[in-house]
Amino acid sequence: MREHTKTNRVLLALVGLVLLGGGLLVLAGGADIYRRWNLTPPTDWPLTTPKDVLIPSADQARWADQGWWWPAAIAALALLMLLALLWLLSQTSWRRPRTLPVAGTPEQAVAVSDRVLADALAADLDLLPGTRRTQARIHGPTTRPQARIDLTLNPGSTPEQLLKDVRGAVERARRSAGWDELPTHVHLNVARHGPHRAE
Amino acid sequence: MTSRTPGAPQDPGGKTSRAGPDNTAAPRTPAESPQPVEPSRRQEPVEEPSRRPWGVRRVLAAVAASLILLAAGALLFEAVWIRTGHDASAWWKRLTDEFATRPVDDVWILAGAAVAAALGLWLIVLALTPGLRRQLPLRARADDHARMCALLDRNGAALLLRDAAMRVPGVSGARVRVRRRHVKVRADARFRGTAEVTEELTEAVRREERDQLVLARPPRPTIRVRRSPT
Repeated sequence: MREHTKTNRVLLALVGLVLLGGGLLVLAGGADIYRRWNLTPPTDWPLTTPKDVLIPSADQARWADQGWWWPAAIAALALLMLLALLWLLSQTSWRRPRTLPVAGTPEQAVAVSDRVLADALAADLDLLPGTRRTQARIHGPTTRPQARIDLTLNPGSTPEQLLKDVRGAVERARRSAGWDELPTHVHLNVARHGPHRAE
Repeated sequence: MTSRTPGAPQDPGGKTSRAGPDNTAAPRTPAESPQPVEPSRRQEPVEEPSRRPWGVRRVLAAVAASLILLAAGALLFEAVWIRTGHDASAWWKRLTDEFATRPVDDVWILAGAAVAAALGLWLIVLALTPGLRRQLPLRARADDHARMCALLDRNGAALLLRDAAMRVPGVSGARVRVRRRHVKVRADARFRGTAEVTEELTEAVRREERDQLVLARPPRPTIRVRRSPT
C-alpha cells in the first residue's frame, strides 16, 4: 500500500487553483476591475465588462451546432469521471499483501509478505511491557519500504523508555528482511486513565 | 555478504541518492559503501528531532474526488441525454438560461464566484500546509540504518504531564491542556504554599517534557495553582 501524500496534495492544489482562478475571473469582471484600474485585458479575454454574461446564448448555439462539440464534451467528461474515480479509490487502503524481496538473495528467490513482516513486528512490540495496543504496517514502494507503528502506551510508561525498545524491534525486523534501512514512523497514544494522587 | 537494499543495484562507488517523501534531509554518509571510511560512525546513534511529517490529506482528497465525480457524472448524463435526441432536462435549460441572461455583476453570480474563490484558496492552503497539528514530534535517535520519526498525540502528552504533576508533593489535582507552543496546567495545592508548588510544578513539567516525553520542541508551561477548596 502506498500513502499518496504528494499526489493528493498536488491534485488538491490544482483543484484549488482552478476554483480560485475561475472565481477571480468572474469577480474581476463583475467588479469592473479592468476599467477601474485602467487595465487592458488581452483580446478575447472573457468577462471584461460588468454587463457580460457567462455564456451568451449566441455562443451556446454556435458551439452546439458544431459537429465536434458534443462528442468532445462527452469524452472529456468521461475521462474526468474516470480520473476522479481513480483518485477516490486510491484513498482506500487496498490491503493487498505484497511480497517484498529479501535482500542478500538472488532476485525472486526469497520474498517476504509485507503483512507477515508487519504482524511479526506488531507481535514483537506487543511483548513490551509498556505497550497496550500495537498496530504495525509496512508500506511504500517495493524498493523503499517504510514501517508505520501505532502504539498505545500503558499508563505507567513514557516515550523515553519505550522508544529504545521500539528501535530494537524495528532493527530486528529490518535485519530479518535483510534490508539496508527501514524508515519508521511511530505514532504514540496514551491509554486514558484517571489521575492518581502521589502517595 | 554486504546487505543490499531491496531492488537497488549495488553501487560500491558512490552514494545512491533516493530522495523520497519521508526520508529526512540528512544525506547518506559514505560509511555505507564498502570502503573502510570511518566504520565507527555507523554504530554511533545520533539524536535528532523528528521531522514533522506531512499528513496524507486523505479525507479531503476523498471528498474532493467524490464531488468531482458527481458533478462530472451529472454533466455527462445530461450530455448523453441531449445527444441521443431527447429534449434537454429542466435543470439544464434553467442553468444555461441563467448563464446566458444574468450579467456578471449580478449578485448571485458574484456570490457564487466569491465562494468558489474562497474555497479554492482554502484548498490551496490545506494542500501546502503540513497538517497533523495534534501530533507533537519527539526526539528520536537515528543512525545510518533506520531513521525513526516519532510522534506523540497531544492528549497523550497531556495525560503524561498530568501524571507528572500529580507526583509533585502537595498537588491534589491537576488539569493539563497541551498545544504546540504552550502547556496550560491548572493544579490544586494542599498542605503547601501555592508559590512553592508553582515553582516545583514548573520544574517538574519542564523536566518531564525534556527527559521522559522527549519532545523535540517542548512547549512552555504556564502554571496556575490554587488552594484546594477542601
